[in-house]
Amino acid sequence: MTPTDLSREHAALVKAAKAGNLNRRELLARGAALGLSATALASLAASQRVASAVARQDNPLAGQTIDMTILGIAGWPPSRLGVDMANELFKPYAQETYGYDVNFSFEESPFESLFQKAATSLQSGSAQYNIIISDSQWLGALAEPGWIVRLNDIIAENPELDIQFEEAAAIGYRIYPDGSDNIYGFPQEGDTIAVFVRQDLMTDQAERDAYMAANDGEDLPQTYDEWLEVDIDRYERICQHFTRPDENLYGTAFQWSKVYDFVSCYAYPFMFSNGGEAWDPATGQVEGIANSEINVAGLEHNKRFLQYAPPGATNYGIAEEVDVFTAGTIATCWQWSALGPQMMNQLVPGEPGEVADEARPVTPDMVLIAPPPGFPQEDGSLNRVYTLGGQPWVLNAFNDEAHQQVAIDFMKFWYLPETQLEFSRRGGNSAVTAVLDDPGYEELQPHFAAYKYMIRENRSKDFWHDPNYAEMLAVQQEAWNGYIADVVESAQLALDYTACEQQGILYDAGRSDIEPSEACADISI
Amino acid sequence: MNAHPWRQRLYHLVLWVVALAFFMPVLWIFLAAFKSSGELVSPNPVFLFRPTMDNIIRVVQEPNFLDYLRMSFILSIGSVVIAIAVAFLAAYSFSRYRPTGTNFIMFLLLSTRMVPAPAVVLPIFLMYTALGWAKTFHGMILFYVMFSIPFSLWILKGFLDGVSLRYDETALVNGGSRLHTMFRVVLPQVKPGLVAAFIFNIIFVWNEFLFNYILGGQGTTMIPVLLATGVKQGGMTDWSFIAAISFIYMLPLILAIYVFQRYLLVGMTFGTVRGEV
Amino acid sequence: MAQTTFPAETPAAASYQQARRRLPMARALDETRAFPVILIGPVLVFFIVWNVVPLLWLLGVSFYQYKLTSARPAEYIQFENFIDIWRASEVWGLLGRTLSFMLLTVGGATLLGMLLGFLFWGSGKLPGRRLALTLLFTPMVLPPVAVGTFYRLILDPIFGIANFFTEKLIGQRFDFLGNKDLAFATTIAVDVWMWTPFMILMTLAALASVPKAELEAAEIDQIPWLKRIWYVILPNGKFILMLGILLRTIDAFKTTDLPYLMTNGGPGNTTEFVGLSLYRTGFEAFQMGEASALAIITLLIAIAFASIYLYVLSYRETRAQLQ
Repeated sequence: MTPTDLSREHAALVKAAKAGNLNRRELLARGAALGLSATALASLAASQRVASAVARQDNPLAGQTIDMTILGIAGWPPSRLGVDMANELFKPYAQETYGYDVNFSFEESPFESLFQKAATSLQSGSAQYNIIISDSQWLGALAEPGWIVRLNDIIAENPELDIQFEEAAAIGYRIYPDGSDNIYGFPQEGDTIAVFVRQDLMTDQAERDAYMAANDGEDLPQTYDEWLEVDIDRYERICQHFTRPDENLYGTAFQWSKVYDFVSCYAYPFMFSNGGEAWDPATGQVEGIANSEINVAGLEHNKRFLQYAPPGATNYGIAEEVDVFTAGTIATCWQWSALGPQMMNQLVPGEPGEVADEARPVTPDMVLIAPPPGFPQEDGSLNRVYTLGGQPWVLNAFNDEAHQQVAIDFMKFWYLPETQLEFSRRGGNSAVTAVLDDPGYEELQPHFAAYKYMIRENRSKDFWHDPNYAEMLAVQQEAWNGYIADVVESAQLALDYTACEQQGILYDAGRSDIEPSEACADISI
Repeated sequence: MNAHPWRQRLYHLVLWVVALAFFMPVLWIFLAAFKSSGELVSPNPVFLFRPTMDNIIRVVQEPNFLDYLRMSFILSIGSVVIAIAVAFLAAYSFSRYRPTGTNFIMFLLLSTRMVPAPAVVLPIFLMYTALGWAKTFHGMILFYVMFSIPFSLWILKGFLDGVSLRYDETALVNGGSRLHTMFRVVLPQVKPGLVAAFIFNIIFVWNEFLFNYILGGQGTTMIPVLLATGVKQGGMTDWSFIAAISFIYMLPLILAIYVFQRYLLVGMTFGTVRGEV
Repeated sequence: MAQTTFPAETPAAASYQQARRRLPMARALDETRAFPVILIGPVLVFFIVWNVVPLLWLLGVSFYQYKLTSARPAEYIQFENFIDIWRASEVWGLLGRTLSFMLLTVGGATLLGMLLGFLFWGSGKLPGRRLALTLLFTPMVLPPVAVGTFYRLILDPIFGIANFFTEKLIGQRFDFLGNKDLAFATTIAVDVWMWTPFMILMTLAALASVPKAELEAAEIDQIPWLKRIWYVILPNGKFILMLGILLRTIDAFKTTDLPYLMTNGGPGNTTEFVGLSLYRTGFEAFQMGEASALAIITLLIAIAFASIYLYVLSYRETRAQLQ
């Protein structure tokens, strides 16, 4: 194809997309086939989209300059992507389409303190942050005082925003209270847990022989498909095989840290996958549910993996895992799939060739990303119910009309097929079903296959959206991390304490009519 | 002690070992500023390496770095200077007139340091919002003035108590006004106290994070906020970023301690120097 | 206040009266009896706006159930927040842990600081003394964020240089911040490292305030060292030392940054102190009533400590007045 052919093809493609003749799958496929940067695609789309000046003049904001501020999570690649794309792509798009000039600035704050930054500002009725990238658990705490916009009416008025999302995302990033149909967020980044595997170790013949000899002829999993069949017991044998402190090599790492929600997110899979629950959102009952036998066994099971992890693992969070994995110290690692490029030590997401940090021994070609192990059920099947990560966009309720309009325009832009494609190319996890359905989707990023597998069919779920999540989380983190680090003597005690405290928190806050039982008076850690 | 030269040498060696022992962890952070991230996070600590300026350059080129650094200087120096001026007036009054309740007020002022910061940051934030001071420059600087007043007042009162009343008397008898006496005659006598109060308070304002994070906004943010929010990059802990910022940010303070060391030592005596410093 | 504002017996007041008689018109400002109050005025304004108002707010809110992230309006519940704190078993553990942290870290920094302060006393001839002292003082001027974060790397069992040395020296690596028996001690050690230089500074200042003549007399009389410290050094340097200890005590009691960044109060609750807990209730959970009540209690405890110190110090005050 000559360059002219290319751009003609582009133009046709974009026109078709605009006219709605083309479904998203086709657009993605053809766009990818063109092999051109989606940046170009998007800007082309923009120029094609509304060539007529009439539409622009209709816009009441035409000719104005609007400054928008996004508050997002510091050092979290997907948040950064959202803001970069807003400035790079939405700015020219808005000029073309709506005729106004928009500038985005980014204020950032780490996971564990972003909510404070947002809440203090919103408490004063400030529209300082027009759009906020919230963590999914915060929806209730932001929605309850009326700080963020309930989106149902906006979606009804703007059919472009009525999008088919993956079910886990449609609930986890949007709905508060649980079970209602109130929508408060738009999925920004979908996220699930994945297992990151040192493929160079797994495929090493000597390792395979040694492993087979020790495990009755069972082989190390070699491919993504073989990892789908790995259950938690086999995974434990693999971890055990690679745990060699004298070689400074260990089998695995989970997040066990007390910080924020780290230990909770990586212990829940051991409970959820076997039918355990965090609470009953309908009645607010925690006691008897959170400290069920299944959950106690789950927490004990989780701790068993600590022996295959490097010393100091009780303080591991997201960042520590990236460091220890890319330093070549662990053979496998459970980590958020959103960190695919970072865990692979990859410079450009999706392009395995280039290494981000030469001094770290792990290179992109050494890493396989697969769904984490399944939990064997009585009927012999494997079940995976892991914790949902990821973040929604939420809109400040104190925005004036102009800023709210721009925010809505930005959301419409965000869910354009071209934008979602570009987001995916840069490594972001889309939650739009049509995007994930595209046949070429898994090829775009090494972590997309595992992400797609885990976000579907109820394999990932969130825990609470209650406005009291911060207190509930704090007691849970303290008790669970305490159990992992031998401060709290048993899993039973850790969970009883958590359940009692959480029941008390919900009862005191008037969120539940169920009082903590009398037995709670004697439980302390 | 000066009987045996070797004993003196040993004594001096011990002193240097102590000083270096305390400095070692700081040195390790400083060295990190000149390492690549792979050398930093390595199972075997890297002692010999080819220093790179990349981290320093990267930090300086960070979009907000220079603005924040400028704000660190303006807010720290500005607020401490105002605080010392205000504290000097009060200290003079306390020292010379001893109004009823002097001790009580001095104690109350010190008690402002006793309230945990996380508890008061919210009321102050709400008050600032009500007054329209949140995110403003004057809101930020006035807060730091209050932050610096108690200790300045304590130091200065100590020094003023040590300045003989004859200075005041002579000046007044010779026809000087009270303000002239205060600023031209007494003030120069407490110079070490002024410098000590200055350095001591600068250290606290220079490194203050929580209030700046909550009360400050664009245009009033200092480096510690950048440090705290920039700790994580790309999902990882950005050790070289922390190291490089710490290195650049500490240099002015270290220099100040080196230059004004004598004043700092004299200052901490609260004006009661009677022996060797 | 008016009668006691100018105690007639002080020389300053006497000279003031003299000057006033001599130049009746020249200094209108000096004339007013309000002058001393005017001088204090600005400090009082700052004090009221930035301390009294927020404190009153805290006091008021401590009688309410008030949560920012809730649609429920604040509810007046009298002393219930305080009663809840009184009854909660965790709070006693929290206070006990905080107090022992405070005693150990202040005690450690004070003892080490005084010891090294004495060592550095008379180091006047040390080559490069200015540089040596500057290096010695660096830990206390590091940004706490940098200290807290970087010590995680220094103490890391895999990447940390501390463990590199322990392995070389005693052949063992330690999980300093993750082990339940080590985390508390490690947090204290880092805090002591950070603040010992401050106590060295205060000790040096205290020693500098001891009159040279008295020391020389003691030297000539060959009075034993312990007696010299007790009878010569302490009476002169006590005020400065005690002030140093007081400032450290106050700060150690509400310490938040270091445990927040190094261990986040963990493992479990082993390094969870009052400051951190306040941060969580007030600033993560936004339970303003409960947080305010806890803040008031903390403040009262701190005031109690300060009063004891100042009671000890007032001895010096009376002595100074006698001179």
